[in-house]
Amino acid sequence: MFSYDIWNALRSMRRNPILTSLMVAAIAVGIGVSISMLSVYHIMASNPIPHKSDQLFRVTLDSWGPLRPYDDSDPMKTPIQITYREATALMRTGEASRQSAMFETGLVVEPDSPDLIPFETRARAAFSDFFYLFDVPFLYGGPWDKLADDEAAQVVVLTPAINNKLFGGRDSVGEKILMSGRTFTVTGVIDRWEPMPRYYDTRNGPFQLVNEIFIPFTLTPRMELWSHASSSNWKAEKIQNHAEWLNSEAVWIQYWAELKSDLEVQAYQDHLDNYAREQKKVGRFQRPINNRIFNVTDWLDYREVVPNEVKVLVALGFLFLVVCLLSSVALLLTKFDGRSMEVSLRRALGASRSALLGQHLMEVMVIGFVGGLLGIGLTQLCLLAIEAMISQAPEYMLRMDWQMIAAAVVIAIVTSVIAGLFPAWRSCVTDPAEALKTQ
Amino acid sequence: MELRPIVSALMRHKTGTLLVALQIAVTLAIIVNGLFIINKRIEKINRPYGINVDSIITVSVRGFGEDFDSGASLREDMDLLRNLPGVVAATSINQIPLSGSGSSTGLRSVPDETATSTSATIYNTDEYGLTTLETALIEGRDFYPEEVEYSVPGQAQRDIPPVVLVTKALADKLYPDGDALGRPLYWPSMEPSTIVGIIGHMMGSWPDWHAINNSVFQPRTRNNFRYLIKAEPGARDSLVPVIEEQLAELNRQRLVRSVTTHEDVVTRTYEADRAMANILIAIIVLLVGLTSLVIVGLASYFVSQRIKQIGTRRALGATQIDILRYFLVENWIITTVGAFAGCLLTVAVSYLLETNFDLPRLDYSYLLVCVIALWLISQFSALFPARRASAVPPAVATRTV
Repeated sequence: MFSYDIWNALRSMRRNPILTSLMVAAIAVGIGVSISMLSVYHIMASNPIPHKSDQLFRVTLDSWGPLRPYDDSDPMKTPIQITYREATALMRTGEASRQSAMFETGLVVEPDSPDLIPFETRARAAFSDFFYLFDVPFLYGGPWDKLADDEAAQVVVLTPAINNKLFGGRDSVGEKILMSGRTFTVTGVIDRWEPMPRYYDTRNGPFQLVNEIFIPFTLTPRMELWSHASSSNWKAEKIQNHAEWLNSEAVWIQYWAELKSDLEVQAYQDHLDNYAREQKKVGRFQRPINNRIFNVTDWLDYREVVPNEVKVLVALGFLFLVVCLLSSVALLLTKFDGRSMEVSLRRALGASRSALLGQHLMEVMVIGFVGGLLGIGLTQLCLLAIEAMISQAPEYMLRMDWQMIAAAVVIAIVTSVIAGLFPAWRSCVTDPAEALKTQ
Repeated sequence: MELRPIVSALMRHKTGTLLVALQIAVTLAIIVNGLFIINKRIEKINRPYGINVDSIITVSVRGFGEDFDSGASLREDMDLLRNLPGVVAATSINQIPLSGSGSSTGLRSVPDETATSTSATIYNTDEYGLTTLETALIEGRDFYPEEVEYSVPGQAQRDIPPVVLVTKALADKLYPDGDALGRPLYWPSMEPSTIVGIIGHMMGSWPDWHAINNSVFQPRTRNNFRYLIKAEPGARDSLVPVIEEQLAELNRQRLVRSVTTHEDVVTRTYEADRAMANILIAIIVLLVGLTSLVIVGLASYFVSQRIKQIGTRRALGATQIDILRYFLVENWIITTVGAFAGCLLTVAVSYLLETNFDLPRLDYSYLLVCVIALWLISQFSALFPARRASAVPPAVATRTV
């Protein structure tokens, strides 16, 4: 019966090639447009670290000035980064199983090899906990130890790209590198690591690749490391040198802590509030106490990492799919109407309604399946086109994962069955005698 | 022409008719909102820069090494660049305009911290800054060479410059009466600088920023690690590799991070806007194509269903034009019903977009234009099947009965 249905479906599709291909095209284009928009959204809105996103917390403190809030449109918003003073104080006193202050800077690498000219690399100054907080995978070696943090040792963790450039990709643990005039020892090389979004630093490019090397945060004063990313200050301070900058009210540091239970979260929150109260005594933190910590998903929401543009495109993409669906129903109605003679004949010859309905639905599903497959192809094309338009997007950002492929197939078949149900049903309930008579 | 028979004929095909009307409605909602967004983006991209982006080359450098003298290195680089054949002017600057990165501050016309401040982008440059950018003063004067601060090893940075240039937008914000020239401008530290020149128009660093047209220029080259080079007409592209090579050779204590045309920088800045507009254009084109195909399909079906009736009408004296008109009016009714529903849907969609995604309020003139366009497209699509209908000979009526 199944193969008979398929055979019938194909025969019927061949009989109306224009209508059939129009329907297949409508479904394919609908899928292509809506799923490519959804794929972009899906990747941008994904949880980058699902197994511990509710245990990692971004720490923010309202150290802003008395006259104006950090964000005029929402006075309860805390500055998204913190000052160096707060960062060092929290690292000393904060009770979290793991925590790290961090910021993006840049170093000049001066390779030993005479064929390589010095080059600049992005670098992240962080504590050794960084690698444990975010489960950073290692290719060779591992993070530096706590002692290196305490002693501000000149140690470095490389990315595979830099390791390839400097050491041809071999295990470089223990090797020395000259960077910004100082010799660093390699303790590890991270493996391919693509958190998407790059949640630990959403301010400075949430959809950028991780292309930074890592050095101890404690080197900051000695090496006079400046933030290469965003920084802002409410206070008009005369900053003449690095020491003054570290002591200023400028916020430029990101801070993450791992808190494993509600109890720990509460304790940490209390600690922050106590810290703010202490600071009030020395004339800082002049705003009402407002310290907020966010787990990963809350933080990504708070930072609104998914641009509104993408949401608008998803909404319009699905409206587009609705249009395609409506087209399919209209076309199917036309098609099945034109076949009432055949249906009536078969009914008159004893075919049951359900058999005919089944056959119609089979036809619709074949159309949906073919449309869905073409739609997946079209989605890939759309994503390629978007990629060509956005040079800053990392290559893996615009890919279709298995969830999206499954979504495409399911949407194709479900929509075409829904679209086909009514026309198929209507065509089958036609009274055969009536239909045959009028011909 | 009587509408009633057409309507009653349509009522016999309620579902098909309603579906197409509904499709037209959703199509209208997408097109109107889509075109509105596209137009906003195009308006944004087409705002005048106020600088001659096309002739400028941008350079980013970084010094390293223990005893790197940034002041000396800058002078050397500027000497080299200004003497290169094909270079009209060169300057150093803290940030590239329209690049999406820079620094900003809040300025006031009174030394009162509680007064509302006006946001502005800060540019630090020398006496060649305006010439290189090709932006013109409308009042006052440019910097004198002796006013420009250079970095000297061991010497602290001057706090605030005695003189500044501002854009007209900023001047008007600070001094709404238009008498900003010669008046003070107060930095957040409440120290004043005197406005000695007013620039007609120039865009700052962030195209999305509300204060994009507010910029203040300080005569300062300290910490300027970016250069702007104005090339002679036609010389720009061939200068890029020359500059890259010669700068790299000049000083091994300084990296040349990038040499690129300002045009590329600006293109990148507007990339997302352009992508948004292009994606929406593609969606709209597909949508219009699909909807017209469906209109053709449905009208053809109606025609094929009624061959006999058409023949009868023709036999009874209806002209070809009558038949043609019949199908066009039928299509017009469907489109109008769809467009009416579409107007409601468009308003609903635009309301949802406005409240959920911070889009500006829809300009309803788009609705009118799109309804008219839709009428035309739909009539045009129905024309082919309608002409086929009008070609049905009266003899059909007798032949098949």
